[in-house]
Amino acid sequence: MTHYIDVDVRPILRSGGEPFSVIMAALQGLEPGQGIRLYATFKPLPLFAVMAEKGFAHSERELDGGQWEVLFTPAVTKPDQAAVANPSAFEEWPEPALKLDNRDLDPPEPMVRILAAADQLAPGETLSALLRREPVFLFPQLEKRGFRWLGGFTPDGETYELTVRAPS
Amino acid sequence: MTYFAMALAWLFVALALMIAGVGYPASDIVSPDTLILVHAVSIGWLSLAMCGALFQFVPVLVAKPLFSEKCALPALALLSAGLLVLLAGFLSLGGHLPPALWLLPAGAVLLVAGFGLVVVDLGLTAWLRPTGPARFVLVGLASLCATIAFGAIFAFGLAGWAGSLGDVLMTTGVPLHAIAGLGGWLTLTAMGVSYRLLAMFMLSPDVDDRQSRLTLAAGALAVAVTVAGGGLAIGLNSGLKIVLSMAAILGLASAALYGRDIAFIFRNRKRRQLELNMRMATLSFVSLAGTAVVGVALAMSDTFAAHLGAFAFLAVFGWLSGLVLAKLYKIVAFLTWLETYGPVMGRAPTPRVQDLVAEGRATKWFIVYYAAVGAGTLTLLAGAPEIFRLTIAAMTLGVVGIVREVIRIRRLAYVADPLRLPGGAVAPHLLFARN
Repeated sequence: MTHYIDVDVRPILRSGGEPFSVIMAALQGLEPGQGIRLYATFKPLPLFAVMAEKGFAHSERELDGGQWEVLFTPAVTKPDQAAVANPSAFEEWPEPALKLDNRDLDPPEPMVRILAAADQLAPGETLSALLRREPVFLFPQLEKRGFRWLGGFTPDGETYELTVRAPS
Repeated sequence: MTYFAMALAWLFVALALMIAGVGYPASDIVSPDTLILVHAVSIGWLSLAMCGALFQFVPVLVAKPLFSEKCALPALALLSAGLLVLLAGFLSLGGHLPPALWLLPAGAVLLVAGFGLVVVDLGLTAWLRPTGPARFVLVGLASLCATIAFGAIFAFGLAGWAGSLGDVLMTTGVPLHAIAGLGGWLTLTAMGVSYRLLAMFMLSPDVDDRQSRLTLAAGALAVAVTVAGGGLAIGLNSGLKIVLSMAAILGLASAALYGRDIAFIFRNRKRRQLELNMRMATLSFVSLAGTAVVGVALAMSDTFAAHLGAFAFLAVFGWLSGLVLAKLYKIVAFLTWLETYGPVMGRAPTPRVQDLVAEGRATKWFIVYYAAVGAGTLTLLAGAPEIFRLTIAAMTLGVVGIVREVIRIRRLAYVADPLRLPGGAVAPHLLFARN
């Protein structure tokens, strides 16, 4: 049986923070054969690829209120331990260089502001934005410009938190 | 955009037919001429417009790309060809063309193929994340399947290829076909899409899933009772009265619950000022309520069968067509704005969506349209076919005005010059959208 270490990043996400470094720190602290049970306010899709590279399989399950529980289980063949010990190999998203609160703007002003601000980011920098709705029309525009993004609703369903990262 | 353009072309065909006095009320409600009119409206205008809207908005409802981008155009070609062949079959049935009844099943096969592509593509897309409004679309698509199954049996039956079962279904089953199509496919889908569009454009929280699920359950049950119960009743030769009464009660419940959901969205909106498309959509909701009132009044006075045409006219042109036209006005503006200014947004000053429209000019055409629909319903109830044709002429005038405004939006005619095409922006093509 795999023993799982609980990592709850929901408070970090709710306060607009960036949970990647916390997850990676937890990963470094794992004993061989241990996994991570992650709680997040959205399905952390980009993390799946990163964890797969580190040799972890994932299985996820939606909890109430759009929250997710994800189990990262070490695969039988362990990856190179040196890579796990070297944090620079991880894709860490830095603290947002800019925080936007676009909740009280009429559409499409939130989208215009996010795109304008994103164009000002230095390579690899991030910005975070608070919105009223899931910005479904913004995502294709961000992707066309080479940006990556992470987003999800807070548990009360009132605010959508979006983090955008400039291509590095 | 191609779907919308084709749908509008069929709307003009239908309006021209009514002005020319083809089909109900000039002819009997089950005559081949009426069938031409009904199918030009329900397949050509409403179904194509609905499919066009769904190809745009189901991906938004589920936040996932379409299952296949390649299906939309072949589906449109199959549906258009199928409708033309079907209408030619009706012409032949009515003696306007040399007898060639094989046209009916041929048209049905083409339509089944076209709708089949639509159902598979949209169904698989919506299935990925069947939350609130996407569930409405799934039930709507299931109703569409039932509708085209009945329709195909009728088409084969009219050609004499469906055996005795086809004959039995054909003599009694038409109400089931109509309810599944107008009620299940068009109305439930329009409801589902409207939830998300209204909340999006008015900055309102989405309707709670549990709340809208009840609305959907009543509507889905009405369609299920109609299709399954109706099929059983026909099989047992017991008449459709009980089944249709049950479906009517469930349908009324669904419409009332929908009214409650829409009121919730209006009450909780963050944007106090209502845009034109919302004000006009309100008239469409009033028409839906009006349709329910007219239906109940006719049923109580036992004159429903005699005035079925007036009831269907208000449902089709007041509720469904009115909503489609109002939303088309906004959707075209929004998609055109996104297509033209999305790539340069944040890099150059861009106009707002509202800068693409001239609401004052459009308002009067919508008023003409809705006033004509109301008058048309009254003339049908009063049995005055000549005045009815006059009201259709007024309706056509309204639609021409609205379409002219939509074309001006697409051409960026209202955007002042320095902002019109900032560095790198490309003017959109009238009929083909790039995104």
